[in-house]
Amino acid sequence: MSENAVVFKGTKEGLFVVLKEDMDIQSIKDNLEKKVKPSKKFFEGARIVDFRGKSLTRAEYDELKNIMQQEYGMMVVGEYVELSCDTSFEREETRESSSYEKLPYENVSTDEALFVRATVRSGQLIDYAGNIVIIGDVNPGAYIKATGSIVVMGTIRGVAHAGSKGDYSSFVAAYNLQPTQLRIGDIITRSPDGTASRLSVPEMALVRKGAIIVEPYLPNKDSNKL
Amino acid sequence: MGEVIVVTSGKGGVGKTTTTANIGTGLSLQGKSVVLVDADIGLRNLDVVMGLENRIVYDLVDVVEGTCRLRQALIKDKRFNNLYLLPAAQTKDKNAVNPSQMQKLCLDLAEEFEYVIVDCPAGIEQGFRNAIAGANKSVVVTTPEVSAVRDADRIIGLLEANGLKNPQLIINRLRIDMVKRGDMMNIDDMIDILAIDLIGVVPDDELIVVSTNRGEPAIANEASLAGQAYRNVVRRLMGEDVPFMNLESDSGFMSRLAKMFGFKKKK
Repeated sequence: MSENAVVFKGTKEGLFVVLKEDMDIQSIKDNLEKKVKPSKKFFEGARIVDFRGKSLTRAEYDELKNIMQQEYGMMVVGEYVELSCDTSFEREETRESSSYEKLPYENVSTDEALFVRATVRSGQLIDYAGNIVIIGDVNPGAYIKATGSIVVMGTIRGVAHAGSKGDYSSFVAAYNLQPTQLRIGDIITRSPDGTASRLSVPEMALVRKGAIIVEPYLPNKDSNKL
Repeated sequence: MGEVIVVTSGKGGVGKTTTTANIGTGLSLQGKSVVLVDADIGLRNLDVVMGLENRIVYDLVDVVEGTCRLRQALIKDKRFNNLYLLPAAQTKDKNAVNPSQMQKLCLDLAEEFEYVIVDCPAGIEQGFRNAIAGANKSVVVTTPEVSAVRDADRIIGLLEANGLKNPQLIINRLRIDMVKRGDMMNIDDMIDILAIDLIGVVPDDELIVVSTNRGEPAIANEASLAGQAYRNVVRRLMGEDVPFMNLESDSGFMSRLAKMFGFKKKK
């Protein structure tokens, strides 16, 4: 609980002290002591630029500044600014979301994604509430299950189950899409028997009119017209 | 009430899965209703050998855990009407099922099918105990190698200790030319050690590899020597008295066996 109550964060400008938001000043002081005491030498002379996280009142700010400078030999160079803490984080967030609005596309997802940098082998199951990105191959007998979409930066030969909670707008995209079986929501398809070697172009599978269809996701590229 | 036959060997790689697939397909070719059960949870292969991997939605563990009904998990073979497969789970392990659950499953299947063929995993641990739990008949597969025969012997002992009397033996991957040269164990030696009934000798056959990779059991292939041998095994399993069984104690067994295979080949 109190583990991350006080976190030192290094940036280009210097150290920031990130304070957990729902902590009162007393526990912050306790935590600060716990954190700094054992490695006092290390922190001596450190340049603290500012506090982040919990908004501090003027009195709290001064108190903390005092403790850090007097007891631990740190330097607090920043000045107290009204709500200094939260603004920097908020600024970042607003920047992010506004950049999405500027994109000329629909189909932009800001959902969480799990990244797997590995070959997923037979018998391995990756089940995630969100999207899954596999940087590697998915071998036969492996099972990828996501409540969102699945992207494989390699060859998928195993079973992919996108939208496992019933989201039919999710898709399965792969650099080389040759799954044993594809599932989106509760719709199941399988590769045709007597697997004829297909063109290895990047493809994606999605639901259209209640059925799973597979199509190249770069339809205008020359390589797809072969 | 159908028969529940477990196909086992102890040692891995001697051809349990191939044998299961071929016997099952052969029985269904004879007009019997058959279900193949893959008890090799976590290392399933039978679905691949049968070419049914891409049809799996539910598996044995789902049935046992009650996630689905038994009927939903059964996969109908793509060529033969009265042949079904109950696939193993791949993302679980042998401990996902216990022997009493397997016993009930086999009983349920035996209600509906004339033959239930259980493909046993290699080893003598939980997977083996699960696979034999519901069986009332057993087939032991071995190859003409000392290690495989040693393991088969151990398995026969365990089967008998678990109430499966009179296991039947299939000798797989026999190379007649090597036996003649004395480079391979001969059939009489193996029977001498194992002392159980022989119901088939399957010669080493390249077509087995081809058919395994294609997902089409060799027994349906008229040109395959091994396929012919499996057809004989199937008839013996059904209680028929097929010739070369009577030859086993004969001194001229090998030559007559070879002659028989030669003859069959022409057909």
